[in-house]
Amino acid sequence: MLEQQLINGLTLGLIYALIAVGYTMVYGVIQLINFAHGEIYMLGAFFCVTFITAVGLPFYVAICMAMICCSLCGILLDIIAYRPLRKAPRLAALITAIGMSIFLQNLALIIWGSRSKPFPQMAVPGYLKEKALVMGDISLTWLQLFIFAVAISMMFGLFLIINKTRIGTAMRALSQNKTAAALMGINVNFVISFTFALGSAMGAVAGILVSVYYNTLYPTMGYTAGVKAFAAAVLGGIGSVPGAMVGGIVLGVAEALGAGYVSSLYRDGVAYAVMIAVIIFRPSGILGRSVIDKA
Amino acid sequence: MTPLLKIDGVSKRFGGLMALADISFDVHEKEILGLIGPNGAGKTTIFNCIAGVYKPTSGDIVFTPGDTSIRINGFKPEKMTELGIARTFQNIRLFTSLTVLDNIRIARHCRTKANFLRSVLRTPFQKSEEKSIVEDSMRWLEFVGLASQALSDASSLSYGNQRRLEIARALATEPKLLLLDEPAAGMNPKETRILVDLIHAILDAGICVMLIEHDMKLVMSICERLVVLDHGTLIAEGGPRDIRENPRVIEAYLGRGAAGNA
Amino acid sequence: MTKGKLLLLFIGAGLLTYPLLPLSSDYVLHVMTLAMVYMILAMGLNIVPGFCGLLDLGYVGFYGIGAYTAGLLTIHYGLPFWVIVPLAALNGALWGVLLGAPTLRLTGDYFAIVTFGFSELVVLFLTNEIWLTRGPLGLPGIQPITLNLSWLNKAWYFEFYEKTPNFYIAALMVALVYFIMCRMEDSRLGRAWYAIREDPLAAASCGVNILNYKVIAFAISAGIGAVGGCFYARWSMFLSPDMFKFWESFLVLCMVVLGGLGNIKGALLGAVILVCLGEILRESLTAIGLPAETRFIAYGLIMVLIMRFKPSGFFPAVASSGRSNPLLIDLQKRLAAGAAAKEKSRDSAA
Repeated sequence: MLEQQLINGLTLGLIYALIAVGYTMVYGVIQLINFAHGEIYMLGAFFCVTFITAVGLPFYVAICMAMICCSLCGILLDIIAYRPLRKAPRLAALITAIGMSIFLQNLALIIWGSRSKPFPQMAVPGYLKEKALVMGDISLTWLQLFIFAVAISMMFGLFLIINKTRIGTAMRALSQNKTAAALMGINVNFVISFTFALGSAMGAVAGILVSVYYNTLYPTMGYTAGVKAFAAAVLGGIGSVPGAMVGGIVLGVAEALGAGYVSSLYRDGVAYAVMIAVIIFRPSGILGRSVIDKA
Repeated sequence: MTPLLKIDGVSKRFGGLMALADISFDVHEKEILGLIGPNGAGKTTIFNCIAGVYKPTSGDIVFTPGDTSIRINGFKPEKMTELGIARTFQNIRLFTSLTVLDNIRIARHCRTKANFLRSVLRTPFQKSEEKSIVEDSMRWLEFVGLASQALSDASSLSYGNQRRLEIARALATEPKLLLLDEPAAGMNPKETRILVDLIHAILDAGICVMLIEHDMKLVMSICERLVVLDHGTLIAEGGPRDIRENPRVIEAYLGRGAAGNA
Repeated sequence: MTKGKLLLLFIGAGLLTYPLLPLSSDYVLHVMTLAMVYMILAMGLNIVPGFCGLLDLGYVGFYGIGAYTAGLLTIHYGLPFWVIVPLAALNGALWGVLLGAPTLRLTGDYFAIVTFGFSELVVLFLTNEIWLTRGPLGLPGIQPITLNLSWLNKAWYFEFYEKTPNFYIAALMVALVYFIMCRMEDSRLGRAWYAIREDPLAAASCGVNILNYKVIAFAISAGIGAVGGCFYARWSMFLSPDMFKFWESFLVLCMVVLGGLGNIKGALLGAVILVCLGEILRESLTAIGLPAETRFIAYGLIMVLIMRFKPSGFFPAVASSGRSNPLLIDLQKRLAAGAAAKEKSRDSAA
């Protein structure tokens, strides 16, 4: 039973981690909690399903298309909503972020309706639904393995991009000092757009994986997932990409164990409680920098 | 006599960087002490340690506002203000969307005490306190010569006036020691002259002044004593004349060769 | 008195006499009372983002705490409304302190997310602790507001089931909260908050204990939210956890933003406008076959557009109540007199 909970928690945690890196990267470069990131995650799932049902694209192609669309959405979000407010007070940008989140969520509600839909099972490759491993009470599906593989390889790819490429170096430079980075000839707005695109693509994948895993998608799904992923980002230390991965996994496992052993009614509550506790007792997170307000 | 402020072996480390290394000097009552040194010497860091923004890594800062000495390292900025240390900032930090008067009224905060209930009920105590806040604030504005602009927005003031408003705000907290961080930066000669008069007037009011300044002419003319920092260490201390001729100071400012030629 | 003030007074008086008119409709009265509930909430929330510059996304949590405090105290102990209001306010403020004290030393973003998490936890608690709150079934049968003056005259015991008395009680509470707000704004407390909003480091070097004043602001704001909830409980006579979801926080925040952050009168207007807009949108959206929740798209858009084009809101705080303070009026006169005297002496010298 415990092992099963751990496996379920790990699956969930890796998905949270995928969303959390989006929060963390954006926070790293522009110090803004992009509340609308949860909506990008939701859009990812809806784009994918729309590509499958309306266009008839195969599963994997639809995933890639959804990633591209979400990247564009992320870039647009930044250009339309956040870029004009770069020099405005933090509060203005935060309020805009929350406003955009609500706007996108309700836009999806109008376009796709408020009822939850099943993921089109026809499109999902059959082997994903089969059990890969059964040991007594514990079972592991191919889908779960697929989620592990996708999440881990994306994280690894992200790690390579951040640490081994020019643009990754530029991102890291930006998170240290925006002015200095601009003086060094880095195109700040391009790097920020790239960060949004990267984070949004990963968020989209997370949205698709969740909707396949639970076989359901609905316009308000980004709301709780977004907050939990943010909690994961905080847990790992906001601004730190490895932190987001660790935080996501810890939170997913904590949630699964909490739901299994404490009370399933407080499933979401575990995430919020963990988040508040971390913010109160160790605001820099597991791997992050200090965030005590210097002033 | 115990000095007003005693800096005793203060060091401040940021990660691997030693911003201040074992700095010791005194600030006496009724004096203007100049703190000079090249850029990055640690002048503002020592101000921040005294004003409570940073906590020194080691060493003691002892403040003696009255008869009792208090070890103040690591106190919060508001506590420092309460004890009698006020400061201005290198890049002016006014409450720009508030009026000139409100900037000063806020500075009266630590010397007044009306709380939520008193404010809502407007008790006689609160009313008379509000009245005295306005009066005291106007007195300080008159002191720096800004009284006629009391009700305009702080952001509408000229640069020199904004500097003076910031000084007035610091004075309104009734300090014993005033820290001025580059008060003359960006001022024209006329504004600088007015500033010199103002600093003398502050001293006459019984407030000790410590200032960081790059304008050597200004520093040499008003400070009785100077402390010179370079790379986080104290390299010289003394009267303006001694400092001007001190080979280590010349070296710090002009480089090694210059010291040899001098 | 200026023309504008006269007009405002006229409109105010007209609105206040509305329930007494023979043609007054229950629906309009209901909407007006609801708008007043939101006025209380908007004024309360305004303290945190408006005066102190911190984003509070969990305001509805305190509203919910106040409402359930009132509901439970009424059902189980039958306490009168006038006793419950201060108790609920204290309970709200207590939670504000408990939540604010450890989290307000962090940067504003963290605070925003903590408040959000807190209000979600409040909803989860209200939904799941069935022994106390009856959970999703809700809390029906809350007695309406009563006024017991039988110690003056045996017949003077009133139970306010009707819309009209509730309307006036709400108006009274709005007036009271407005009064408190204006007095706070123009006081040592309000100035300390403004200082924190403008520049925390400079505020600290003026001797303002930033953490304390943020916590005080958050607690007062929470207390006022609880008062709003308290009235709501006794007015609607039914509570359910659904009423206290995140949407409500968002709506109240939108009211404050629309009216201009930090502007007390603006918060009042924002509440009126958005409550009316909400009613219109609800009707028109269902008419064209969309779910009523989609009206939030308009609120989201309003917030984004205002932050982009009019960050101080549509009613910027030009005439803050402080300017009407007799001390300042007196000072202004003195300054004008001084300037005139100077002018005169210059003239005579010339």
